[in-house]
Amino acid sequence: MRFIISLALKNLTRYKRRTIITAVAIAVGLMMYIVVDSILLGAEFESMRNLRWYETASARIMHPDYWEERLMRPLDISIDDPNTIVDALRKEGIAAAPRTMFSADLILYSDDFGEDGNMPVQVTAVDPELDNTVFRFEDTLIEGRFVESGTNELVIGSWFAEDIGAKVGYWVTLVTRGNGGFYEAMDMQIVGIVNCPNPNVNRTLLMVPIDTIGDYLAMEGAATEINIALPENAEIAEEVARIQQLIDPSGNDLLVVSWDDLARDYVALAEAKRGGTGMILFLVFIIAAVGISNTMLMAIYERIRELGMMRALGMNDRSIQLAFMVEAGGIGLIGSTIGVLLGIAINFYMVNVGIDFGLLMRDMDMGYRIQSSFRGTWSPSTIITAFFFGSILSMLVAWIPTRRALKMDIPSCLRHQ
Amino acid sequence: MIQVQNVIRNYKAGETVVKALKGVSLDIGDGEFLSIAGPSGSGKTTLLNLIGCIDALDGGEITIEGQPVSGMDKKTKTEFRRNNLGFIFQTYNLIPVLSAYENVSFVLSILNIPEKEIEERTMRILKEVGLEGMEHRRPDRLSGGQQQRIAIARALVKNPKIVLADEPTANLDSKTGEEILKLMKEMNRKYHTTFIFSTHDSMVMDYAARLVLLHDGQIVSDERR
Ligand SMILES: Nc1ncnc2c1ncn2[C@@H]1O[C@H](COP(=O)(O)OP(=O)(O)O)[C@@H](O)[C@H]1O
Ligand SMILES: [Mg+2]
Repeated sequence: MRFIISLALKNLTRYKRRTIITAVAIAVGLMMYIVVDSILLGAEFESMRNLRWYETASARIMHPDYWEERLMRPLDISIDDPNTIVDALRKEGIAAAPRTMFSADLILYSDDFGEDGNMPVQVTAVDPELDNTVFRFEDTLIEGRFVESGTNELVIGSWFAEDIGAKVGYWVTLVTRGNGGFYEAMDMQIVGIVNCPNPNVNRTLLMVPIDTIGDYLAMEGAATEINIALPENAEIAEEVARIQQLIDPSGNDLLVVSWDDLARDYVALAEAKRGGTGMILFLVFIIAAVGISNTMLMAIYERIRELGMMRALGMNDRSIQLAFMVEAGGIGLIGSTIGVLLGIAINFYMVNVGIDFGLLMRDMDMGYRIQSSFRGTWSPSTIITAFFFGSILSMLVAWIPTRRALKMDIPSCLRHQ
Repeated sequence: MIQVQNVIRNYKAGETVVKALKGVSLDIGDGEFLSIAGPSGSGKTTLLNLIGCIDALDGGEITIEGQPVSGMDKKTKTEFRRNNLGFIFQTYNLIPVLSAYENVSFVLSILNIPEKEIEERTMRILKEVGLEGMEHRRPDRLSGGQQQRIAIARALVKNPKIVLADEPTANLDSKTGEEILKLMKEMNRKYHTTFIFSTHDSMVMDYAARLVLLHDGQIVSDERR
């Protein structure tokens, strides 16, 4: 046993170049695994957070029928008296704010924009006093200011503004069908431009005061939804159930939906992407596995005569098997150690600085709600998995070619050149 | 005592069957110094492999120390070789990463002999084959003759009953080859170990105490001198 291990280690150091090349291949594979996984996890985490902070909130109250028909954005399926519920929730220490969402046509005039134009848009009507207790637009203004209650003011996402050439002070008109069935034209002035970490918001946001809109569209104080912010570490499902119980006595028959349900479409997208990146990780592992199996195959092939001699002298197959597995495991261990150390080093950079995909994200909707830089995150389980996977996989991979060499009869081994 | 009785060994090479041994019979007594000679392809290696329990019979029987070989399974054969047989090869077959000492001592390691005894026996046999002071050299820093001396030490260190050597001098120049043969003969006398070695070199045959000539898988002469 001691002889076997010392033989394996001697072979390991004897064929230095091969050991190093294979170990480096494993190291690079594991390093990639650690870093890619870190970026994906980090991106996902940040992406989900940006989704909550700028789009879905932690949870949302709405009419059950509205939930069914949410894509149509019906104005008539609404919450009659949102402020009572908001007040009740705020008394419980839960941040809440009403919003009304609607589709409209945005009309641009040549006076301001150089040429006339119109386009379909989604508009978010917010309560200027309450909205920032739930969402995080506070520090996202890059120009102007937020909308004020009772005014015809409008805040626009930065990329949207760039796309249409909008500036603070420009006037636009929103045309939509109000609750009574009549078309309403609302002249609004752009007072602010926001640039937040959520690219989807930058691309689409049009924000107006809810009371002004309520008057235009005959909402009579109703809102289509109430958004709720919960602490980052809250048990969402439990909180949702609690809020559901809180609002049930009001007799309004309302539904509380958590953000992950709200983001279902988006989350499904993320899962598909995770499958795709799973493929990348799988490939990385295949490369490492092929690398070491190739090395061991060469090592074994080269030593077939040696193997035949050892067998002739009465060494049993198990010992020979063990010798090669220890050798391969040693290479795997070296590679895994280097890979994990490299991965950790690079991950330091990824976590603290990140890589800037800003330009890419500007023109491409990748589904991620991340604007500028992808940050990594620390995942100890990934690092530990990578380490053990690298070492153990190496040993297992050596098993197959050794097995095959041991199937050869001894005279053939001894004759082998 | 080895009894080879009407041994047959056929190889399949694609469609054709090569009859490597066509009924070979031979009794080998303890402590013999026997050469199996014959031209290339006459079946020398095949016969040695069969006696060495690393190949399987197609017919006949070989009995070593009263034990019939044909009845042994793989594990028994491995154990049998480990305990009773020493091997010397034409190409030495040393482990390149191990020192002379380690190349010899591992044979005792796999027999689970205590460390202290391993050291004692290894040092003694290395001295006897003339490698004193070179114990820590790797094979690549030794000459062919010296490497074959390690192989002889490796074969003898466990005091086997039988040592099988397939063309042990074929890779050496004639002078070194003679030295190796002299060493083998000396060991044969000293330890009373049975030596069976094959060769196609007439100089080597001269050293044999008994010369068995093979031709086309059959024994054509068997003489003691
Ligand atoms: N594994 C094998 N497959 C096919 N033929 C073989 C094999 N081993 C040996 N032979 C044939 O058997 C005959 C005897 O071979 P061998 O015992 O190696 O002879 P020698 O050692 O005297 O040169 C030769 O004709 C050789 O070609
Ligand atoms: Mg031969």
